[in-house]
Amino acid sequence: MQALKFLLAFLGTVALASGALARTVSGQVLGEDGKPVANAVVFVQEPASLAPAAAAAPAIMDQFNKTFVPEMLPIAVGTQVRFPNRDQIRHHVYSFSRPKRFELPLYKGEDAPPVLFDKPGVVKIGCNIHDWMSAIILVLPNDRFAVTKEDGTFSLPALDAGTYTITAWHAQSKDKTEDIAQRVEIGGSDPHLTFKLALAPVRARPATRGARWDQ
Amino acid sequence: MNWWVRARLRTKIFIAFSSLIIAVLLATLGFTQIVVSQEVDRTLDGELLTTGEVFDNLFKERGARLETNSILLASDFALKSAVATHFDPSTYEPATLASAAQSWQERIGVDLFWITDELGTVLVASSKKDRSGEAIEDLSPLKEAIDSEEPAAGIAEIDGQLFQLVAVPVFAPDVIGFLLLGEAIDDRFAGRLKRSTGTDVSFLTQDRVFASSWPADQRGRVIPLPAARPDLLRTGTRTTSTFSMEDETFQSLVVPVQSQLPQPLFALMQRSYDEALAPLRSLQRRIVVIGTAGLLGALLIGVALAGGIIAPLQGLVGGMREVLRGNLQYRSRIERHDELGFIAKSFNEMVDGLEERELIRDTFGRFVSHEVAEAVLTGRVPLQGERRDVSILFQDIRGFTSLSERLDPAVLLSLLNQFFTEVVAAVEAEGGVVKQFLGDGVMALFGAPQPYPDHAERAVRAALGIVDRLKGLNETLQEQGIGPLEIGIGIHTGTVVAGLIGPDNRIEYGVVGDAVNLASRVEALTRDMQATILVSRDIAAQLGPAFTFGCTATLPVKGKSQPVEVVEVLSLCQRVDSSPPP
Repeated sequence: MQALKFLLAFLGTVALASGALARTVSGQVLGEDGKPVANAVVFVQEPASLAPAAAAAPAIMDQFNKTFVPEMLPIAVGTQVRFPNRDQIRHHVYSFSRPKRFELPLYKGEDAPPVLFDKPGVVKIGCNIHDWMSAIILVLPNDRFAVTKEDGTFSLPALDAGTYTITAWHAQSKDKTEDIAQRVEIGGSDPHLTFKLALAPVRARPATRGARWDQ
Repeated sequence: MNWWVRARLRTKIFIAFSSLIIAVLLATLGFTQIVVSQEVDRTLDGELLTTGEVFDNLFKERGARLETNSILLASDFALKSAVATHFDPSTYEPATLASAAQSWQERIGVDLFWITDELGTVLVASSKKDRSGEAIEDLSPLKEAIDSEEPAAGIAEIDGQLFQLVAVPVFAPDVIGFLLLGEAIDDRFAGRLKRSTGTDVSFLTQDRVFASSWPADQRGRVIPLPAARPDLLRTGTRTTSTFSMEDETFQSLVVPVQSQLPQPLFALMQRSYDEALAPLRSLQRRIVVIGTAGLLGALLIGVALAGGIIAPLQGLVGGMREVLRGNLQYRSRIERHDELGFIAKSFNEMVDGLEERELIRDTFGRFVSHEVAEAVLTGRVPLQGERRDVSILFQDIRGFTSLSERLDPAVLLSLLNQFFTEVVAAVEAEGGVVKQFLGDGVMALFGAPQPYPDHAERAVRAALGIVDRLKGLNETLQEQGIGPLEIGIGIHTGTVVAGLIGPDNRIEYGVVGDAVNLASRVEALTRDMQATILVSRDIAAQLGPAFTFGCTATLPVKGKSQPVEVVEVLSLCQRVDSSPPP
């Protein structure tokens, strides 16, 4: 999946690079302590005109070994997500999040219909019968986003010249995306951005009584 | 102690019995008091500590049950689904959520059931007033649950009532809200504790009682507030202490209870001392009743027993007095088989012995002189015989043969007996013993068995006595026409062997020796010398100057190679300076 994404991004970049003013925004996301933050999502918040015109190919969030894979899935608004169940037992996938409230009652394999995420925002996904199963689908306003690597670096798909608001998001981030957003003028060079995120400590989920480790 | 020494036996027995019973009674009461008090102390302490543990366990168990129920409920998908509706104001219906909350509350049976959103703002609350929209994120233990996203428990006061609370997050899968559930710490709970442990339990802070198993109208009387009774908390935790209220004493245990109240919260366990001691009081009353009954019984038995001992003893004492007075006919009529019976029997045997001895003495005295009888009976006569210096007196009636022929035998015997009565009286007056009646004569001993240093003088005085008494008798005889009796008396002194003589069945006290024969010969010489009283020279030599002597002669004596010098005794001089015998 990841490989495919990178390929797409690469192809996009190549396509834009062929245009005269297309520029690549790259950079790094660091924590307050200066250490690189992986799995942060850097995306273009504005302008709204970047909204994708056509529906992208459906994204996939697997359920494997009673875990959502990936646990964090950034998608562009208007993308459909399939939730194939590769376990031998049924799952009951749901979300009560404001951008998308849905429920896929107990099913197996590919039985569940794809879910359309038509509003941007954080959608927290859970399984009704497995308290520890948890994932996030980050519905972004457009498809110009990148996920930081282990070294915290990212590279956004090519952007035409213009003014953009670019921000970063992380599951543990205490900062609102608006507060750390950076306005970027894209012109003659490839801008390099650095985001600093205040991360909350990772919380085990004791409410589920450690059942996660008792499968 | 003089009175005790002088006290009668009956009084002593009575006092001894009473003292013993009273001492036993008091000792029993004292001992019971000590043992039961200690036991009550121990029992109360044990029960209080048990109650403390039961309370702890009950409290923990209740908290755990509350938490488990809350977690299970928070995992309920329908609940999650319902709670999540608040995210979308367009579809959120508080009335639906409140109704569902009521159903869940009934499902797990808790006293307090509140739901808040993920920030601690009340969505629904099972309270009288509408609290929706109220921010209670600072209410413990919700605050801890919000901070930790974990279940949190605690005790808090809500609307003036104490609650054991649990706050649990509702995950879907992130926190979408909180459940705040609580069990009331109220009189009902305290009552339940009391029912399961028998101990009164109150929940209080420094100056306020939140809940108690005591009836409301008694609380002021029995529950001490720490503000007014600092000593209540001074003993420390898990230590029992005793304290008194107005009219009742309690053993108590103070257990601190973790709470989020501004003042420390305590659970006060109380057990009434007086109530616990009630069985002791009852026991003591019974002991006193039984003891008093025992005392009375013992006194009656003591009196009866004393009577049973004293009466026979008094009878015996009376009997002894009778015997002392000479009444040897007295016999104790006590017939018992105990020691008293033995004493009475011995007493009777003793009096029997005394009577028998008296009879013997009496009978013996008729045949022997009282002197001899006494000497034999008192054991003064040695069985093996002894040498003694004695004086022997022989007396004879002259012309008795013709007199016996003349007189009627009865008259003769009467005459003899009258005469011998005088002779015996005269001899015994001088301490002598008439040893033998020899027909018309008498042999008398002086100095045996009773020893006298002046036996010779006694013998002579007896002889003069006989002569003197004969004068009176002769006057009577002359009046009867019988004529006067003439007698001769011979006395000699010397060493003889004295003792019991004769075969076993006819033993008698007697003396043998030459002196006896010589005395008899001296008496025989009275006829030759026409003298009434003749004594041997040996006697005369021993006599004092008070005697008057007559003629003296030296006469041959039958059976003696040497003639014997004899002296006639005439009388006892009136004058002390009478001339000594030649």
